[in-house]
Amino acid sequence: MSTVLTTSTRLRGPARYGLAIALVSAALILSLVLRVPFGNPFWFFFSVAVIVTTWFAGRGPGWVAVGLSTLAALYYFIPPVNSFAVKPADVPFFLSFVACEAVANWLISWQKNAEDALRRARDELEVRVGERTVELKNANDALVKQMAEQRRTEEALQRTRTELARVVRITTIGELTASIAHEVNQPLAAVVANADACVAWLGLEWPNLVEARAAAERTIQGATRASEVIIRIRSLINKAAPERAQVQLNGVIEETVTLADRQASRNNISIALELEPDLPHVPGDKIQLQQVILNLIMNGIESMTGVTGRSRLLLIRTSVVGDGEVCVSIKDNGIGVSDEVMPRLFEPFFTTRSQGIGMGLAISRSIVEAHGGRLWAESTVNQGSVFQFTLPGEGGPNP
Amino acid sequence: MKELEPVVFVIDDEALIRDGIQSLIRSIGLRAETFASARDFMAAKRPDAPACLVLDVRMPGLSGLDLQRQLSDAHIHIPIIFITGHGDIPMTVRAMKDGAMEFLTKPVRGQDLLDAVQKAIAYDRGLRKERAELMEMRNRFNSLTPRETEVLKLVVAGLLNKQIADELGMSELTVKTHRAHVMEKTKAESLAHLVRMAERIRNASASKYPSPPKAG
Repeated sequence: MSTVLTTSTRLRGPARYGLAIALVSAALILSLVLRVPFGNPFWFFFSVAVIVTTWFAGRGPGWVAVGLSTLAALYYFIPPVNSFAVKPADVPFFLSFVACEAVANWLISWQKNAEDALRRARDELEVRVGERTVELKNANDALVKQMAEQRRTEEALQRTRTELARVVRITTIGELTASIAHEVNQPLAAVVANADACVAWLGLEWPNLVEARAAAERTIQGATRASEVIIRIRSLINKAAPERAQVQLNGVIEETVTLADRQASRNNISIALELEPDLPHVPGDKIQLQQVILNLIMNGIESMTGVTGRSRLLLIRTSVVGDGEVCVSIKDNGIGVSDEVMPRLFEPFFTTRSQGIGMGLAISRSIVEAHGGRLWAESTVNQGSVFQFTLPGEGGPNP
Repeated sequence: MKELEPVVFVIDDEALIRDGIQSLIRSIGLRAETFASARDFMAAKRPDAPACLVLDVRMPGLSGLDLQRQLSDAHIHIPIIFITGHGDIPMTVRAMKDGAMEFLTKPVRGQDLLDAVQKAIAYDRGLRKERAELMEMRNRFNSLTPRETEVLKLVVAGLLNKQIADELGMSELTVKTHRAHVMEKTKAESLAHLVRMAERIRNASASKYPSPPKAG
């Protein structure tokens, strides 16, 4: 059907008029030939010529066909034959012939035009639909490409963020070197002392196996502890893709505090923990969350090193807030943050310290937000600051 | 005074190290007492026996060096063996200046520690003996009457009896009597001995480390 509609049945140009002349001539010849055996007149050939001409060539050639048919009928068939004269008695007949021809031409051309218009409309619709389909497809392709691009960008961003977090972590660890060295050296010192004791007890004239055994067991404890410290540090430095697990923040806090403990005690700072025993697990990456906590602890310690006239205390508290959200607050009584500094506190590369790259808080905030939480600070100059973050707990609303 | 069994005090905030050192010291038949902090040590009752202190320099709260200061301020003289993670020079110098016996770095070799402990206890034993002698000597000198003390001062300054008699406005005979009492009470065997003893007492009183309180 669409082929019929899309193929034009209309002739173009002067050929249309040729068709009129040819068809009327053919009708004339047929009528003249058939007049001999069948008698007069055979008008319907002319009607056919007019109809066919109008159908295929349009209204104009149709009128030409009507005109030619009229002349031919007038000359050859209306008495007196072979003259253009008309007898008065034949006038009505002749006029009705012309009228019929004209009406046929008009009707046919009208129908033809209507049909053509419809067909054109359909064709146009078809074309437009086709065009729209192509446009839609292009738009769709572009969208798919754009989405893939966006996903790649997001992945790249995520990778960069992970890598940056790791770099900042290593920087923080660097600041803790003395503390960590001590943390490893202590159990090693215990290992040596106890191993020496063990050997001494065994070397006696009457070896004391009970004492030797106790010393050997302490040796094992020391070695185990040293290796635990190493594992803990390594996991902070390692290049590992972030993973989602159920994280018990209380445990992470305790572990982190052991890393920073020395740093604190060297600066005469005591760290107090008030941990909610029924704290829900938090879905997230343990190392990254540990980094946030370590960073906030280090900041707290840093802010208190210059404080005199009051005991230096870092209080770490966990609690459940709202609909199962976990809140960690780290409170110091250090120098505090001034109102000028406060709005810039979480900006990347903003730092008030002589050493430090100013990425700690920016990274911490991005980690917390990537976990669907919030990190903010409140501070009073010369009284101290509280840094708090919330994270959706297990079963709570997830990001 | 009968001497008690020597004791080694071990102060370290790390339980495993504390226990290890204690065990090591006990293995050579010495008594060892452990403390988790300098504060605990200060608060504890310590036996009056030859002793030494094995002390971690870096501890939370009162540090090893702080404790050394406090002991010194309280006139408690126990030889100290310091143990440190990484001894920096200024810290070592300060500790040695304040009379540390030994400075060992962690992890300490067992034999080094035991040698240091033996040496420290021997040193403390000597110190205690010396202190006891000094104390006894001082008691003897303290038993002199004011007049005898005046005579003693002039004798030690090298004055002759006649000069002393002139100085104090008494007869030469009286001076001789006082002098004989002085020699007797202080158990001086000769004038030279008396002078040496007087010198020793004076030096001890003038030194940074005066003798322990009378009660000791």
